[in-house]
Amino acid sequence: MLSTDMVTRHRSVAAIVCLISMLMLGGCVSQPAMTYQASIDNTEVLLAHPTGKLSVGSVDAAAGVANRHLSIRGSELTGGPDGTFAGYLRDALMTELKAAGRLDPASTTRIDGTLTHNELDGGAVKNAKAVLGARFIVTKDGETVYDKTLTATHQWESSFIGAIAIPAAFQNYPAAMQKLVAKLFNDPEFIQAADMAPATAAAR
Amino acid sequence: MIAIRQKARLLRAAFFAVFACLSLSGCISAKMYVDSGLPNVSKSDLPVAPHPEPVQVLFEFRTKGNANANATARIAPRVIAAATESGLFAQVSGTPHDGAGILKIVIDNVPLTDNAAAKGFGTGLTFGLAGSIVTDGYICTASYTRGGRTTETTVKHSIYTTIGNHEGPKGLAAMEPQAAVNLAMDQITWNALKQLADKHAFD
Repeated sequence: MLSTDMVTRHRSVAAIVCLISMLMLGGCVSQPAMTYQASIDNTEVLLAHPTGKLSVGSVDAAAGVANRHLSIRGSELTGGPDGTFAGYLRDALMTELKAAGRLDPASTTRIDGTLTHNELDGGAVKNAKAVLGARFIVTKDGETVYDKTLTATHQWESSFIGAIAIPAAFQNYPAAMQKLVAKLFNDPEFIQAADMAPATAAAR
Repeated sequence: MIAIRQKARLLRAAFFAVFACLSLSGCISAKMYVDSGLPNVSKSDLPVAPHPEPVQVLFEFRTKGNANANATARIAPRVIAAATESGLFAQVSGTPHDGAGILKIVIDNVPLTDNAAAKGFGTGLTFGLAGSIVTDGYICTASYTRGGRTTETTVKHSIYTTIGNHEGPKGLAAMEPQAAVNLAMDQITWNALKQLADKHAFD
């Protein structure tokens, strides 16, 4: 009886040590979201409407929205340069406008935003997805000319292997943000509110 | 005496558990081989642009069709460097210029090997003894737009990766992963520029 207890205890200790070692080696990663890159599609939309410069005001997160950490199979994606995902959205807007030569911090036409949804589901074995939402407000000389909440869903192929699924989720979050920003730039009401006139064919 | 034996057995069990985990994490080497199908192109292979104009370069790297921000940030400087070195443009920039043309380059990484993840997993389980080889395809779509005229071209390339105990493709030199990726991306960019030049995009 004593011998059985000892074996059980040895096995338990071995299992615990093995588990701890695997966790250390496998790594529960905490990684900041990759630096946002302008999307070619978004740049082309902005270049197709070459007038109207914009500034970017404040972007915050609605109550209850994950603004600092998103969990994927025990690993963690953290926010952008200021540690928040609202800051990442602000960075995305500025990066896109800058790439198209449309960012002017002095412009009185300003975009403000609130992150209303921030979901990263990398736990699925086959198809993973991110769902992002934001309320965008455009003001012109202090007057609101656009106020709309937009949502974007982005899907990608995942894997049952965490070492593939986790980096894939980290990699696809910026793509989801690009799609959210694309929803704004492609909205005819936004284009009108921001005084973005279409380019003539010869000017492109 | 019995207590000492118990402690010794516990330590042994712990040691083997840690050793097993370390072994499983394994250092299984990966080697890359750049396909030889795409010719090496340099500035001397390009025609001289009669009237070089400024250009805005738009670049995006995609993985299976989805934007890959990390790879875009790493490769974009190489694409801009190649465009600058080519001598085809008066000025090269990632931001707009008045009267500039737009050079748009998208490189999409598409896996050409079925179930590559499972193959790699199998290689890991056998500590690299059952080596595997996977092929990554790169499809580049490049276009140049100026004055309402757009010229397009497509360039395809491949990189082979061996993991563990597996021979590389015959006639190709093994490279470190970063060097192989850099070489392949440079070759794609230069070939895209040459093909666009051959189509008189910059005339």
